[in-house]
Amino acid sequence: MIEIRDLWVKYGAVEALRGVTLTAHPGQTTAILGANGAGKSSLLRAISGLSPVTGGEILLNSQPIQSVPPEKRSRLGIAHAMEGRRIFRQLAVQENLELAWSFGARGIDLDAGIREVYDRFPILREKSATAAGLLSGGQQQMLILSCATIRNPTHLLLDEPSLGLAPIIVTQIYDFIAGFARDTGATVVIVEQMAKMALKVSAHGYVLRGGKVVVEGESRALLAKGVAETLSASYL
Amino acid sequence: MTRLRTRFTGLITHPLFVVALAVLLAVSAPGMTTGSVQILTFILINVIFAQSINVLTGLAGQISLGHAGFFGIGAYGTAVLTKTYNLDMIISIPLASALAGAVGYLLSFPTGRVREVYLAMMTLGFGMIFYEIVREWVSVTGGTMGLSGVSSAALRSASIAGIPLNQVSYFWVVLAATVVVVGLLSNMTRSHVGRALFAVHHNETAASSLGISNAATKRTAYAISGVLAGLAGTFYAHLVGYIGPESFGVHRSIEVLVISIVGGLGSIAGQIISAAVFTYLPEALQAFAEYQFIVYGVILTFSLIVLPKGIAGLIFDPPRFVRPAAMSANKAHASDITWNASAGRIAIKVEGLTKRFGGLTALDNVSLTLTPGNITALIGPNGSGKSTLVNVVCGIYAPTEGRVSFGDTVISGLPDFKIAGMGVVRTFQDPRLVPNFTVRENLLLGAHGLIRRSGISAAFALPGALQEEAAFLAETDAVMRLTGLSDFADTPVNSLPYGYRRMAEVARALMARPHTILLDEPAAGLSESEMVMLGTIIRKMKEHGLTIMLIEHHMDFLADLVDNVVVLDSGQVIYRGDLEGMRKDQTVITAYLGDDAEDAA
Amino acid sequence: MNFFLSLLLAGISVGSIYALVALGLNLTFLTTKTLNFGHGSVMMICAIVVAYFASSGIAIPLLLLGSLALAVLLGLCVERIARPALRGGGSMGWVVSTLGFGILLQGIAAREFGSQAVAFPAILFSADDFFIVGGVFVAYQYLLVLVVSILLLLLIESFLRQTRWGHAVRAVSLDAELGVVNGLPVKLIITMSFVLSAVLAAVAGLLVAQVGGTVDPAFGFNLVLFGFVAAVIGGMGSSLGALVGGLVVGILSKMVAGYVSSAAEHAVAFGLLMLMLAIRPQGIFVQPEVNKA
Repeated sequence: MIEIRDLWVKYGAVEALRGVTLTAHPGQTTAILGANGAGKSSLLRAISGLSPVTGGEILLNSQPIQSVPPEKRSRLGIAHAMEGRRIFRQLAVQENLELAWSFGARGIDLDAGIREVYDRFPILREKSATAAGLLSGGQQQMLILSCATIRNPTHLLLDEPSLGLAPIIVTQIYDFIAGFARDTGATVVIVEQMAKMALKVSAHGYVLRGGKVVVEGESRALLAKGVAETLSASYL
Repeated sequence: MTRLRTRFTGLITHPLFVVALAVLLAVSAPGMTTGSVQILTFILINVIFAQSINVLTGLAGQISLGHAGFFGIGAYGTAVLTKTYNLDMIISIPLASALAGAVGYLLSFPTGRVREVYLAMMTLGFGMIFYEIVREWVSVTGGTMGLSGVSSAALRSASIAGIPLNQVSYFWVVLAATVVVVGLLSNMTRSHVGRALFAVHHNETAASSLGISNAATKRTAYAISGVLAGLAGTFYAHLVGYIGPESFGVHRSIEVLVISIVGGLGSIAGQIISAAVFTYLPEALQAFAEYQFIVYGVILTFSLIVLPKGIAGLIFDPPRFVRPAAMSANKAHASDITWNASAGRIAIKVEGLTKRFGGLTALDNVSLTLTPGNITALIGPNGSGKSTLVNVVCGIYAPTEGRVSFGDTVISGLPDFKIAGMGVVRTFQDPRLVPNFTVRENLLLGAHGLIRRSGISAAFALPGALQEEAAFLAETDAVMRLTGLSDFADTPVNSLPYGYRRMAEVARALMARPHTILLDEPAAGLSESEMVMLGTIIRKMKEHGLTIMLIEHHMDFLADLVDNVVVLDSGQVIYRGDLEGMRKDQTVITAYLGDDAEDAA
Repeated sequence: MNFFLSLLLAGISVGSIYALVALGLNLTFLTTKTLNFGHGSVMMICAIVVAYFASSGIAIPLLLLGSLALAVLLGLCVERIARPALRGGGSMGWVVSTLGFGILLQGIAAREFGSQAVAFPAILFSADDFFIVGGVFVAYQYLLVLVVSILLLLLIESFLRQTRWGHAVRAVSLDAELGVVNGLPVKLIITMSFVLSAVLAAVAGLLVAQVGGTVDPAFGFNLVLFGFVAAVIGGMGSSLGALVGGLVVGILSKMVAGYVSSAAEHAVAFGLLMLMLAIRPQGIFVQPEVNKA
């Protein structure tokens, strides 16, 4: 479980988050929605320790983690797929997976983990020796998700996993995310611009604007109220 | 305290104070011991030498670990010219300094292309090569034995323009030269030349976007720096009368770097104080001389951490980049904003533009026309290629295929600073102002490409240059009034709230008198009232016929502002038309909502 | 022909020293994109300490160990000094501060041991031990330098390629933030790279001193420049590149020194540097990055 209380993040003079409070429950997906620059990525980066937090609290399973350095947070079970399809582009697919596993994997065998990844996304087995930078966008996203999940994280943070992908691949990826939360009981937080898609797979949704939560509620209710449309219209 | 400091700074940097100090020194020199006069002369030489680092490293931001090379070229140059060719010092000194400047200019070609480690190593290498050449080119330099019998003031063997020099009169010559150098540098720093040097130092991309050529600016910096170091070297040679390679090794480069860093990079006055301290101390304190290297080492190791702005940062106000004289002359002008004369006639045509990065296609056969006097909004989800499009139009990237043109002029493929110089100006998603410039200085930077007077006339503060600067200052005032920045004219932008910075960047772009302006998310981070003002400014641009394109997500902001909308998705144009039509367009809705096939059916 | 062969051998010998220096520079460049401009002083101080105390009768192996321990300490210092500058961004800070640290070491050495050259003890072979190949005398020391360089190179290369820590180093060099998110101990890796770099400097310093027979406080400065050129030619960050680059610089500069002028060594290195940066800035053994800016 991730609890965030009155969180402030500042980059120099720019306030990216201005008092955000939210809770993400285990076994569920929580969607964070909003336009560009609303503070969505900053929120995820604050949870994994990459953003400068200037106020408020972040609790992981009720334990405050602000003083924990970022690489240790990852060993506490946080996995973060960063925005912009970040991956070791020059390293091969298999090397990326091994790296993601090698420091702080949580009780899972590497070979078994990799086998599982390849069974789920067979295309990655075919490309296991290919440099990650040469994969297609969809394959990269599969690899990123696999890297994030190969360590059996208890908390999974995903930043715009649908960015720049064809709809059919987006569906495939979202199926996997929803399944992961359900099957492992992990807390999944997903940042998305595509509001409708994210609300469909999530249990709860928050809308950020100017670094603040402006709307929150059960995803189903938000969908029914047409929040997705309103939201998209606000940046359409 | 701050007021005291401001007044102190005003006093120290006042031309009258400098002249008075020089006169005082000149008058009292005959009454001093020869030892004191010698130390004073050494101090002046180091002042000039330190200013040379200050121009290159302090202003232009290019580190040099081989400056002893330029110093040595000056020293050996004048020594050989006077000794072997019997030239008078009045000719040999300028010639040798010019030679050092020429070498600096040439060195800027390889060094201008690299930065960081490579730059540091290259300059270190330059210094070492010079040292080796001097040691081995025995027929000219005397090799490790050096050149003795150089005409010297101390030995009363020197004369300038036929007039024999003793130590005091030599001191007067060096003093006069130092005053001239400091005066010229101080004028130059506070002109478009100094501002351009500092802009390149701070952000090369932003400098190019204002029509400043980074390469040309660096060449200028290297040439000026070379001349100054060379000049210092010539004075050194004629002071000591003997020069050998050991005086021009790495340690000399390090010493001048220490002086400059401790004095405060960017501050002319700081250099003078620091040069005095570091020349006097080893002479006065035996212990200091003994531990010299250790002290230099400690200073270099910690100075940029403990005292990043040096002595100057401690006791002076930060240096400014506009001359007070130009400021007061400006009052005579009551200017309005001057708009680009060809605005209203220039349409930007983008045809079949494709941009690939390795395997990634960021722009895929994009065609569009921006009509003058029209506001076009460029919209699209994250990663759809909007910024790439702006970057290609502005020349930051060359297109893989296709072209961008206006009229008969094809601009795609040209370097960014040329495109900016042709009137196509942009702002950045993250404001890229020079952080320690005031709002006024940043705005003046925008007018860089319009300034016709040369840097030399600015350095000599010729009336024409002053008048031109004053005219642009008046225009700056007008632009600040339009953009609501007047109250912050003299505030450094790094202490301004975000919204004002964004506004300052738009204002700076206006100062360039563009016919086409590209605004990358200008409203991001603005408050409601600031957005209203931005809207007014953009409408004003439209009124004056500018061709305008903006990237923006904020629909409320765009609603009653834009004439056309172009929507990009995955690098392709998926919609062209008006805002209303876009809201109903199924393709656009899909791109944003991420509806899957089942929903569409 | 004999002249050519002896130049070649001398070139290979100094070339392998340059390779060792380049290897040391590479390590910190890999993890932080910075270099220790005081690298040469670390070489010097680690060698001069051995030379100085050898005359007081302390056992050589003990001294060598002490020298390496000193290198570890210095590596930690350099990392500590460069750290605030690294965070501040821009090269100005760390170039100046690491250079300053190097000068400080040089100043201390000059004060403590005098600015004159100190004789370095013959450790494994003396300058008189040689064998003959094709009519040319080859000092065992030359061979030693080459063998040690290649061994260290193989060691580092297999560490980077075979071990999970080696992979982590490569990962940090590609994207440190992504490394952090993946739980890699990035800070530790950076510190270790500085320590290892200093140890390599010490080894190079000891070898050069062994071949040259003396050490003085100014020693090392030149070597860093040559090592840097070697690293740029091979490609910053590539171990194989360091070796090849080192040999290219070594052989070429000895050839030029032998056939043209001994003064041209620096010019050759500098010329190579500029040529390389102009035609293939990423070096021979590094693939250009495919990057969307």
